[in-house]
Amino acid sequence: MNGVLGHTGVLLGFVAAVVGIVVLGVGLYRGRPSTLRSGLVYAPLILVGGLIAVASMEHALVTHDFSLSYVAQNNSRDTPVLYSITGLWSALAGSILLWGLVLGGYATAMVWRFRRRSDEKLIGWATLVVYVVAAFFFGLMLGPADPFTHVVGRIPTNGPGPNSLLQNNPLVLIHPPMLYLGLVGFTLPFAFAVASLITGRLDEDWQGETRRWTLFAWAFLTMGILLGAWWSYEVLGWGGFWGWDPVENAALLPWLVGTAYLHSVMVQQRRGLLRIWNLSLVVAAFSLTILGTFLTRSGVVQSVHAFSDSTIGPLLLSFFGVVVVTGVGLIAWRGDRLHSPGGIDSPISREGAFLANNVLFVGFAFVVLLGTVFPLLYEALNPDSSVTVGAPYFNRFFIPVGLALLFLMAVAPALPWRKTSVEVMRGRLAVPAALGVVTVAVCVLAGIHGVEPLLAFGLGAFAAASAGRALVLSVRGAYRTSRSAGATPARSVLAGWRGFVGRANGGMVVHIGVVVIAIALAAATSFLQRTEVRLSPGRAATFAGHTVEFVGTREVTSPSRSAYQAVLRVDGRGLFYPAVSQFGSGTQAVGTPAIDSSWRNDLYLTIASIPTTGRTWTFGVVEQPLVMWLWIGAVTVGAGSVLSAIPGRRRRRPTDPVSAPAAVSAPPAPTGGDPGSGPGSDQRRARDTDSEPLPVGAGDPA
Amino acid sequence: MTTAVVDGRPPVARHTARWVAVTVLVIAAGLIAVLATRPPASVDEVANPVVGRSAPAISGATLAGTTYSLPRVPGRYVVVSFFASWCEQCQAEGPQLVAFQFQHQRTADATVLSVMFSDSASDARASQAQLGVTWPTMADPGGTIALNYGVRQLPSTFVIAPDGRVVASIVSPVTAAGLDQIIARARAEHA
Repeated sequence: MNGVLGHTGVLLGFVAAVVGIVVLGVGLYRGRPSTLRSGLVYAPLILVGGLIAVASMEHALVTHDFSLSYVAQNNSRDTPVLYSITGLWSALAGSILLWGLVLGGYATAMVWRFRRRSDEKLIGWATLVVYVVAAFFFGLMLGPADPFTHVVGRIPTNGPGPNSLLQNNPLVLIHPPMLYLGLVGFTLPFAFAVASLITGRLDEDWQGETRRWTLFAWAFLTMGILLGAWWSYEVLGWGGFWGWDPVENAALLPWLVGTAYLHSVMVQQRRGLLRIWNLSLVVAAFSLTILGTFLTRSGVVQSVHAFSDSTIGPLLLSFFGVVVVTGVGLIAWRGDRLHSPGGIDSPISREGAFLANNVLFVGFAFVVLLGTVFPLLYEALNPDSSVTVGAPYFNRFFIPVGLALLFLMAVAPALPWRKTSVEVMRGRLAVPAALGVVTVAVCVLAGIHGVEPLLAFGLGAFAAASAGRALVLSVRGAYRTSRSAGATPARSVLAGWRGFVGRANGGMVVHIGVVVIAIALAAATSFLQRTEVRLSPGRAATFAGHTVEFVGTREVTSPSRSAYQAVLRVDGRGLFYPAVSQFGSGTQAVGTPAIDSSWRNDLYLTIASIPTTGRTWTFGVVEQPLVMWLWIGAVTVGAGSVLSAIPGRRRRRPTDPVSAPAAVSAPPAPTGGDPGSGPGSDQRRARDTDSEPLPVGAGDPA
Repeated sequence: MTTAVVDGRPPVARHTARWVAVTVLVIAAGLIAVLATRPPASVDEVANPVVGRSAPAISGATLAGTTYSLPRVPGRYVVVSFFASWCEQCQAEGPQLVAFQFQHQRTADATVLSVMFSDSASDARASQAQLGVTWPTMADPGGTIALNYGVRQLPSTFVIAPDGRVVASIVSPVTAAGLDQIIARARAEHA
């Protein structure tokens, strides 16, 4: 039953996507708006197909229907409901199913948003691209990644359950779906990029749309990555949160490129520059998503969380090839005709800072990509030897890039567009810079050593103060606007919250979150202390100012889990229970750390070994400062992303003049005048290449 | 991104985007070529310390209720298959093992021995009966055999040479042809 229904759902999704492609193709070829309009109904059908399939699979998992091979391999009678539900994404075929559902959701959201512009060519092409991607993923589920295959032979009465590591912490309920919402979300920006290259519409209007979709995907990807770091800290028992593992890198690569895009797109919206560059970033982000999926799903790289199934690999690799050839080929075909008129006037300007930001993000993405695939390239050239690329390689680049980004975050928000003067910058940055210097001085006096952490703290304080200054100014501006409009002081204070919303202000909140993460990361990794203590019950040991007393041991047994726990008393107060657990019939015993967490530091306790004879247990103890601030920073980034998605004050319509006077074939824009106030018309000029009517209400620049 | 606009003259026709795109395509093609030719790292044969050493002894109770001790027969390879009725992939490889046993029955140069792993005897017996298994299945109470062979996941299969050395450890479903290949390789190495 579950299998039949599931197959039906997958088939519905696939057929809807294929028919949608044909209908839109015909509509675009014949130029018939009515056909284009009818092509949009297939997106909700894809979503319905995905929903049916996912519902069948979840039903099968929760009711332990072992007639499905997927359930028999990833579930057991004793698996609790929570981990039965998460079973959907604990192996290859199910995760492709989740991918299909999320893509169906995005496709539906997209056609709903553009339902009034559905006869436009650009929307038609973008929808067509989304359908092609959907057809590919649903097609995978009809062939090599079929989640609904029936077991061979007798139906088993029980199964091994999910991988032990995946039923150890409830974070697996939200981390993977967040990640998928992020990764799959890059499909829409890619679709818009392809559509605008084909139709030749590179105006800033669609960039507003693409930015919003990218921001949505980016926020989920950020949350997904940070939740993944949290999960690995809580579960894996080595006291770390990031290991530069290929699977982690696979999620980081699109994030880096997406972050670069979210910054550089502002240069395009504001100045009409960097058009082809922005398109390239969007194409790169999606291509890297597919490449990452290939790397982690095909088994070509060794990784702790890779699903290995080689039959799907060649298909994903071919799809990656198609995506790259389509995106890059279109840029080669169109790019030189569509490049931006005008240029960046001065490197010391907002757009100059964004460009530097892009160089750092894209450069670092290249470093990460190279480090991830280097072992494969090396083995291809030296068939009989192998090489691994570890954390030292990535950190050698990550630390300077991170510090440079902190510096940019400190300076850029104060930089005006186009150009600036020393006086202006001195006035705006004096206080934040002084705060940075004071922070370093205080840290040195407090006895903190090391160039890298001190630089991180100082630049972090500088950047946070700079972001805080921008927020204070915008809140004050919102308050004054409200006051001058005649509102009472109380109402105006409430109106001040508008100083936190919108692209720029929400972005500053994100910056503060990133600074908090950066400082926590620098502190936690620079001042980590690790030891192993051997204790018999009743004895205590002192480490890094903490007393750890081994109170005793206990065994915990439930149908789904059996565990040996050690009872440890830390600093004479709380009890902590690091454990070694075994889940269901699975044979892999996994360590479960116990963490004494406070805002100052974390004490991370694991069982290193249980003696076969005697009573002396060995414990791993890791002391790291400020770890909790990683998660606080993550929440701040999430909140900032939400704030920046809320439209801010509408200072101008998209068609209104913006800064930077320049005209086609005119001499370079004059370098004088007040920054950011020139009566320019980049955006209108950009639309001159486009004969189609301007959409109504689109391209809100906020 | 600076323009080519100089002194009001029309912009020089540029092909930057094209050349950069072509370069990127060439690099991507190279990357795809390398990735496409990589063998999957999901190695079926795993490096288990037991490989190359003398096989741990297998003796004890069988599912049929008798006792059995694995004899060393000159010229005969033994395929030791750890299985459970809850292991779906074990069910999938079952017919392959049955075929392998059938092919080697007459020549008597190889045989199969199953070891139940973390399962109930009745479930395991039913699933073996369904497959038509004719060889003995060890009950392995306490998982001693599995522990000695370092079994961590199912399906796990070991090939033991006539001289008693373990020649292969496989952690994915085996096929009759795959087992023949491993045996042929072991013979070639031994010769």
